[in-house]
Amino acid sequence: MAKLEILEFPDPRLREVAKPVAEVTDAHRQLLDDMFETMYDAPGIGLAAIQVHVQERIVVVDISEDGSEPFGFINPEIEVLDPEIHQYDEGCLSVPGFYETVERPRRVRVKALDRNGEPFAMEAEGLLAVCIQHEVDHLDGKLFVDYISPLKRNRIRSKLEKSQRRRA
Amino acid sequence: MSRDVRAVAARVITALLEERGSLARLLPAAEDKVEERDRSLLRELCYGCARTAPRLQLIAAKLLRKKPTDAAVNALILLGLYQLEYTRIPDHAAISATVNAARSLGLDRATGVINGVLRNALRNAEQLQRKLSGNPQFSSMHPAWLQQQIKAAWPSQASDIFRANNTNPPMTLRVNTAKISRAEYLQQLDDTGLSAEACAISPVGITLVEPVSVNILPGFAEGLVSVQDESAQLAALLLAPFEGARVLDACAAPGGKSCHLLEQQASIHLSALDIEETRLVRIEENLQRCGQHAELICADVTQPDAWWDGQQYDHILLDAPCSATGVIRRNPDIKLLRRETDIVELATLQSKILRTLWPLLKPGGQLVYATCSSLPTENSEVVAAFIADTEDASDNTPEQLNDKPWGEKQVAGMQLLPQTGGGDGFYYALLSKAE
Repeated sequence: MAKLEILEFPDPRLREVAKPVAEVTDAHRQLLDDMFETMYDAPGIGLAAIQVHVQERIVVVDISEDGSEPFGFINPEIEVLDPEIHQYDEGCLSVPGFYETVERPRRVRVKALDRNGEPFAMEAEGLLAVCIQHEVDHLDGKLFVDYISPLKRNRIRSKLEKSQRRRA
Repeated sequence: MSRDVRAVAARVITALLEERGSLARLLPAAEDKVEERDRSLLRELCYGCARTAPRLQLIAAKLLRKKPTDAAVNALILLGLYQLEYTRIPDHAAISATVNAARSLGLDRATGVINGVLRNALRNAEQLQRKLSGNPQFSSMHPAWLQQQIKAAWPSQASDIFRANNTNPPMTLRVNTAKISRAEYLQQLDDTGLSAEACAISPVGITLVEPVSVNILPGFAEGLVSVQDESAQLAALLLAPFEGARVLDACAAPGGKSCHLLEQQASIHLSALDIEETRLVRIEENLQRCGQHAELICADVTQPDAWWDGQQYDHILLDAPCSATGVIRRNPDIKLLRRETDIVELATLQSKILRTLWPLLKPGGQLVYATCSSLPTENSEVVAAFIADTEDASDNTPEQLNDKPWGEKQVAGMQLLPQTGGGDGFYYALLSKAE
């Protein structure tokens, strides 16, 4: 297992679009393990492969308090079950320290492959639905800050760039 | 995605409301759940909520037709009210972030009531203030029973005590003068850019102008200094064990006073006892950092048959288990966790320990009875009753310490009240055993 580096906004690599996984291999299983380790260490409740600079459609999620409900999704596809809008202040491991309100459908179904390449489907609502949609957005090069006003987004960008320069 | 810091704070406050643990125990685990940059906010929210809870609970009661049965909903309401009243978080952000935390905890059905209470609190802030300002629980920010006990015991000082209990405490250091003088260490702090001043009564104490992480204190890891309140530093000063004395520190964890005794008089034979194994580990860590050695005993102090070797001690330090009402500013969760009935139970236990240890003291020996309580029930009343019952015990507590007056003289012993910017609330009695 290895902890991976998480890219930070406005890194252009976060804008790349991930490709579907053609066949689930040991390398993907290793990546899932490493992504879980990276997410728990951050600590966070969701992580997409794009955030660790792997352009494949893989996300991991665990919203439990004690790390007891890990979900790995390969090639996830989302279907909206309840179009009613749910507001949530989202934060992201690639946009550290900022929380903004994002509106998303409250209930979704996810179809994906598991770590053995077997297809499965599950329904999610509440925080889990928010988190899965947030992570799948990453696979399309999309960040939660894309949902907020350009003014706010630019303010976050300049603050993060400043702290990145300080660290460099 | 990262986890919402307010949801984590709400979990901690829920656990406090359900009396499932103290902040000291709950917060470290909670800190692991949020990103490092969010940890100071988490801390502030948890400590702040506990400190102001007696007042916020009254506000919530005025605004709710019926108290929610779910502790998590009550916790979120306190969390929201705290942010509105006591932080610079903009009002609309405080409300939306609290409602958000409710959603992230799966309490969607409660978002309406939380949102409503917080908006009403904002809209009716002045009116609420007017209605509640005459309520002593509101003005003192202490639960009613504790407010009444403090007021009864200290009628003229009560408002100062409440203020001190509601103010952030100073960070005070104890200099290990076996290794470096206080003046030299003050110079080192100055060289590091840290402002500090010497304590008035403790000859080894230094109070920092601003609290800092121990990691930036010069020589902390090498044991040049330890973090210890000035009032707590007076225990070793009072006991003043002689060279080579046999000393018992009877309820020793986390070991601050044990280290101090050894720093003050390296030649003593010190036994440090505590009932909890995990707390003994803390003593060991502290002793190691300070470069000291003591015999560690894990035992119930009230059962000496199980641990005592039969040789009497020259000095005993009994820092008795207590309500900790003198250190509320450091442990504001006391306001939520303590019950009125605890006080009498504690006094019974304190009296039992004192009476158990007395025969273990040599004739001519001395015992310091200490608590960090501000309530006479646990302090002067315990000691006065003990002296009245015990022929060979006398109160020998000095009126001056380090040539200075120090605290409020009691029928027996001396009470230090918590001081804003100064020391914690402590009680000390120096008892001598007749030859």
